[in-house]
Amino acid sequence: MIKSVESRILTGIVMFVAIMILVGWVAINEEARMQAFVYQHTGRSIERGAELYASLCAECHGEQGYGALLRAPGLNNPHFFGYDPVGEQTAAIANANRTLVRLSDDSNDLFEELTNAANPPSDERQNQIQAEMEAIQAQIDDQRSIIAQAIAVRQAILGSLSTAVEKGLFPLWDTITDSDRTAFNEIEVFFNNNGARLAQVGWAGDLRGYVVTTLIHGRPGSLNIWPNSNGGMVAWSQLAGGALRQDQIEDLATYILNWDKGDNWTLEDFLAVEQYGKPLSDGSIPGVPQPDPAGDNPEMILARWAEEEIVGSAGNGAVLYDTKFGCTSCHRDGASAPDTIGTWTRVLNERLTQPQFAGYTGERYLIESIVLPAVYAVDSYSSGVMPADFGTRQMTDQQLADVVAFLKTQE
Amino acid sequence: MSILPFPSFLDDVKEKGFKKAIFEGIDDSVERLTAGMNVQDVREALRGDTATRRPNPRLTPHADGFWLHMRPSYFNRDVTGMYPSFRLGWLSSYFVFFETITGILLMLWYTPSPEIAYGDMLTILSNVPLGQLMRDMHRLGAEFMVAVVALHMMRTWITGSYKKPRQFTWFTGLLLLVITGFLSFSGYLLPWDQLSLWAVTIGASMAEATPVVGDQVNLLLRGAPELGANGLLRFYLLHVLALPALLFVFFGVHYYKVIIHGYSLPPQKENIGEDTAKRVPLDKRVYFIPDILTNELMWLGATTFIITVLCIWFYHAPLENHADPQVTPLGTTAPWYFLWIQGALKLGDKFIWGVAFPSVALGGLAMLPYLDVTPSRRFAHRRFMLTIAMLLVSATTILSYMGLAKFAVKTSAETEIVHELTFEPAHSKVGIGRTIPFDQMIAGAYSTAQFHGHEGLSAADIITEFNGETAANGQFQQMVDELKFQKLSANQAPLRFRTIPEMEAPVLLRVMEEFNHHLEEAPTELPNVWGALVITDNQRGLKRLDWIVSWDTVVIEGGDVKLDDDGNPLFVYATEAVAILDDEGNPVLDDNGEPLTQEQQVLDAEGNPVPARRIFSDHLFIHEASAYFD
Repeated sequence: MIKSVESRILTGIVMFVAIMILVGWVAINEEARMQAFVYQHTGRSIERGAELYASLCAECHGEQGYGALLRAPGLNNPHFFGYDPVGEQTAAIANANRTLVRLSDDSNDLFEELTNAANPPSDERQNQIQAEMEAIQAQIDDQRSIIAQAIAVRQAILGSLSTAVEKGLFPLWDTITDSDRTAFNEIEVFFNNNGARLAQVGWAGDLRGYVVTTLIHGRPGSLNIWPNSNGGMVAWSQLAGGALRQDQIEDLATYILNWDKGDNWTLEDFLAVEQYGKPLSDGSIPGVPQPDPAGDNPEMILARWAEEEIVGSAGNGAVLYDTKFGCTSCHRDGASAPDTIGTWTRVLNERLTQPQFAGYTGERYLIESIVLPAVYAVDSYSSGVMPADFGTRQMTDQQLADVVAFLKTQE
Repeated sequence: MSILPFPSFLDDVKEKGFKKAIFEGIDDSVERLTAGMNVQDVREALRGDTATRRPNPRLTPHADGFWLHMRPSYFNRDVTGMYPSFRLGWLSSYFVFFETITGILLMLWYTPSPEIAYGDMLTILSNVPLGQLMRDMHRLGAEFMVAVVALHMMRTWITGSYKKPRQFTWFTGLLLLVITGFLSFSGYLLPWDQLSLWAVTIGASMAEATPVVGDQVNLLLRGAPELGANGLLRFYLLHVLALPALLFVFFGVHYYKVIIHGYSLPPQKENIGEDTAKRVPLDKRVYFIPDILTNELMWLGATTFIITVLCIWFYHAPLENHADPQVTPLGTTAPWYFLWIQGALKLGDKFIWGVAFPSVALGGLAMLPYLDVTPSRRFAHRRFMLTIAMLLVSATTILSYMGLAKFAVKTSAETEIVHELTFEPAHSKVGIGRTIPFDQMIAGAYSTAQFHGHEGLSAADIITEFNGETAANGQFQQMVDELKFQKLSANQAPLRFRTIPEMEAPVLLRVMEEFNHHLEEAPTELPNVWGALVITDNQRGLKRLDWIVSWDTVVIEGGDVKLDDDGNPLFVYATEAVAILDDEGNPVLDDNGEPLTQEQQVLDAEGNPVPARRIFSDHLFIHEASAYFD
């Protein structure tokens, strides 16, 4: 116990003042601390949302939010976030049009003054007016050329977007077009009148509200647009009989909205969204254009290889053989198809000695076996088992060359 | 004649003049407020002078006033220092009031509902000025209070202060200890985060083992078979209403008994068998006013100052993710003051160790003063009881250690290791994998194989060799398949391992070394192991970290690796379906014409069986903005 009363009083007062200073100091910094907390907590929310998305949503909407084939739309999607690829040009045109109205008003006023019979201007004034009118005319021409330029750029952008439309970027495309549309104009109509996803679906609230509501209650499947949507999106919230709590719904929404690039969306983003509203009219699924397949004519293939100097890589061939084309699933241990191991030896020593392959090179034999499997089947294996479309649909020249190069290493 | 129809201050002014009337008025008010001390008396007291008026006006606040009626007017000098009390009783009382005040402030922002409670915590942290400080103080105060009350009990035991006539004081003190424990425990649940839900679930389930009434008690406590809305409300009401009411009642009884019997003196200060606490010689008297009063106010300031400093710079109340009954976190424990019961539970039967043992222990403590009736309080005469006290402390410590998750709980090594690297922040600790700075999470696939090389091999060489090896034996493909199964986008799947960029990402390197170190510590459970970390960009400002462990499968029985006679682990060997061949070497077909197959061990080129390769993965997402404490 501190001996004198004074020192105890002094210590006590110092302590209380120190507490007040400390708490005051904390209080001054509270605004910043709270803001920092909100910032950090948003980060945590996105992390948790990412976890939920990967386990619950990625299956249909794609791991990276690009949507899944015929199943569910992409969410990592400029259109979803209201990006207008021609917005800048549209605004420039509108702006120039406003200027034009002002300029022609001015010009009209001057013209009226010039032609006023009741109160004709002096000669000096007439000259002045004419000079001014010429200046205005020059400005009007400037604005017109601005408009013409913007229109040209806009047309170019919209033209580049037609692939996006084909890829189903705008599932409701057909509903807003008529039979004799010109693609450019209609895309223009699409953006001007329907704009972003929210406007399309007629949602009056904001995007977060749209996402949260959809997560809570799900939405009906639209088999016209998403043929594989299996009855639509289920209700995820516990409110609606689903599995997620409200805070988890919010986390998911925060994660999904974190895809928004704001003003930084690009045309590339538009084109990157791999989602297909519906098959094309011929029933095919639009996709990334494939390089031309090799075809099923071994002689032409060999000729092209020589001409274009296509050389196979055994390493790439091994990967293609095992994974992409799945050859190993049959061609192993010789049970259902000839074993991969020893292919080249057998080709040289057994097949090419047969009369029908007279004049064949080993390469030619392998190519024919791949692109025209029906021509010949090794004894004791049934023919017609191997897919016949490797040449016509699946393999490019390079891939075929790689596989052949790989098989040549199998001695 | 009065100006007003009754005697008033104005009459005084008229009669005595303004200045004198004011001073006398103040003097009078001070005397009423202090129940007997006028301005002069207060000034004398605060200066440390002796009182000039007789009878001593410093005694009247105790005799006539309410606030000091239970405080003694003087103390024995021998009990006013640090020894023998260590101020633990005072500190306990301090925390009762400290917790009440901070608790009431927190109540303003809290709703006891599972839908709202966690959001309220976030509001307190994000939108209530000084909210975080309040919450930290309330939480830290609660932890201190449990510790202080327990230490207070040990002090009483060691100085033998429970002896006659203070047996009942001891008993009420023990009740207060139990109430304090339950108060702290019931408050644990209220934030409704994972930490609270699971700590309380474990704690509450201990009651289940009570015969006959266990289930009912549990049901009453939780309001439903699982902790939910009813359970939260009940814990809240216990925390803010029932337990505080009990606490204040027994606090009153306890303190009343302390005063009735006087503060017990240090054992050596009085003769054996005597109790002279109430007979304080004149020269040993220290008066409450001013000495004890100023001392207590000073300590009030000092203690609050210390807690404030701790809560600003050294301690933040934990807040984990939202409570989720579906997700049991690895390594859940009860609050630290109940760890000893959790430890005891690992010794055997739930009833014996979870219910009977704590009951007997508390019962024994309650009866202590009635069992130990020897008159002497001197240490030398109480070797047996002091030994018991030390045994109690040791046993509690050991049991508490046994209560920790790392003791005698079998989790498979790979789960344990990945958890150790990635666990979410709790109690100011966080998995080292989460501490990699955001800009050092450079996308790519990294492997602990990088550290397996021998002298003279560069990291790049080792990784190149390792890439070739894992591509050939299919382990890399197995990893890629696992990653795809875990919903890593196919176009983000790694193509090969790369060396850790140690210049740009030293922390990443350190984490991978730590990962490797952990893996090497489990050579029998994880033979031929390698670990990998695959970092991918997920979103703007968001990375995904996939942790992978790949090893040869061993036979595990009852949580332990089964060893052969030489002490080597027994492997589980890989099998594959092989077509059954008849005598002529043709496949045997079933009724549908499909070849019949049988499982057969896979053999390597030398004809040895190949151990089955196992793979384990877990992933986490890290956002650049997210921080858990700072």
